[in-house]
Amino acid sequence: MAESAPQLSLAVGDRVVYPNQGVCRVFNVDSREVAGQTLTFVSMRREEDGAVVMVPTTKVSSIGLRKLATHDQVAKIFAFLRSDSDKADLDWKQRARTNIDRMTQGGILGLAEVVKGLQVLSELRPLPTKERELYDNARHLLVSEIAASLSISECDAEDAIDLVLSPPGRERPKRTAEEFKQVSASDDEGIELGADLLSLGGDLELPSDEEAETEEAAETAQADGEEEEAAGKGRRAKAGAEAKKASTDGRPVARHSKKRKGAAEGSKPKAEAKPRSAKLAAAHQDSKAKRKAGGARLAKPSARKKK
Amino acid sequence: MTLDDYDPKQIEKLCRALYTAFGVGCEQSTRVPWPSGVGDPADARKLIEHVDPVRAYADDKILYLVHKRLKDRELPSGTAPTHGYALYGKDRALVTTHGVKNLEEGLKRVTRNSMHQLGHLWDLYHCLDPRCSMYPPWTPSFASGDAIFCSFCRDKSEQKIRLAKS
Repeated sequence: MAESAPQLSLAVGDRVVYPNQGVCRVFNVDSREVAGQTLTFVSMRREEDGAVVMVPTTKVSSIGLRKLATHDQVAKIFAFLRSDSDKADLDWKQRARTNIDRMTQGGILGLAEVVKGLQVLSELRPLPTKERELYDNARHLLVSEIAASLSISECDAEDAIDLVLSPPGRERPKRTAEEFKQVSASDDEGIELGADLLSLGGDLELPSDEEAETEEAAETAQADGEEEEAAGKGRRAKAGAEAKKASTDGRPVARHSKKRKGAAEGSKPKAEAKPRSAKLAAAHQDSKAKRKAGGARLAKPSARKKK
Repeated sequence: MTLDDYDPKQIEKLCRALYTAFGVGCEQSTRVPWPSGVGDPADARKLIEHVDPVRAYADDKILYLVHKRLKDRELPSGTAPTHGYALYGKDRALVTTHGVKNLEEGLKRVTRNSMHQLGHLWDLYHCLDPRCSMYPPWTPSFASGDAIFCSFCRDKSEQKIRLAKS
């Protein structure tokens, strides 16, 4: 990547912008030996706090180091910020990815895009903490670069940005989600498909195997006579209920049907049913005992004893 | 610091409000004379450059309070109404009380404006929340808002103050 990118020639005294760090001034270019290799380093000092960064010349392009924006570029930035073109992506994951790319590789326009995009989004809803931090970072970098480029104070640079973003005498507008839909139309389609899949009334075509399984399940359930309601619901339901069966009962019913099959074929389910019958028997005996205590209907037990 | 005559009681109230907002001590130092050549309405940039310096600690922030109107600034994107001016991340800021006849009644507005400019000294930038004092000061809702910071700006200023103290 470093070979393909155009090489940036840097000399002492040049002002450059280090992505995500801010405006730096080159104060030295020299060769040093590192791990047996002789590398040429560009040493620069961040103007904000004087932190020193050393970058090998071979890495200058790949890390996104660039010259300070020119006056024309700054004028374009103001034109961009003034335009009502940018709508933020409503998909947070996509938005986060795009914004990170803009911050590192997008240049001054990338910073402006992040600021404007998040400001527009904040007119729809408050920004989450991470995006608020990102907005603050992007604003800070944009302000410092414009201030350095136009040789004005940061106060003037920020006010110049906000004159465009929030013109005097006007409150920021309230946005609606509909305004953002045009931008994220492709994402919305995906969401609609997801909603169809999730909705119970959608026309969902299941694979033939699953359909067969669900039908079998319904039949076996009916044959057993224990889940008449569920099966009845399955019969009565139209397209929506079929989808519901497929999405909610599909897997469980399929397993259930196997169990039922097993119940018809072998004796395992019967063995599993024993505890239930035992409980019923115990309950029955309790009721008998109560009846005995009450002195009512003593004839039947005696008749059973006779048997 | 004041460049005009103010009621000491009102200044005391302002100091209390700023102390509440930032959590650091705030007091009136002295009154300094107007520098020459700043014009009327005063040029904020010139005024803050030429005003008499005050002896203070390295991490002290100085707020100059003036009653004169400040001249609107011509910026690359238009003309900015000027209610104050600050040297970002440094030690000096300027606030005008022009348009506030009675500081007693307009204290909230002056406090909000002072918090805004002092916020810039603590590296705060303009905020997205209209209730926050760091909201752009030329918006219609700014003057009527409370003198408070949003949670993000408050946390950031506290962090910066802690860093400066350590």
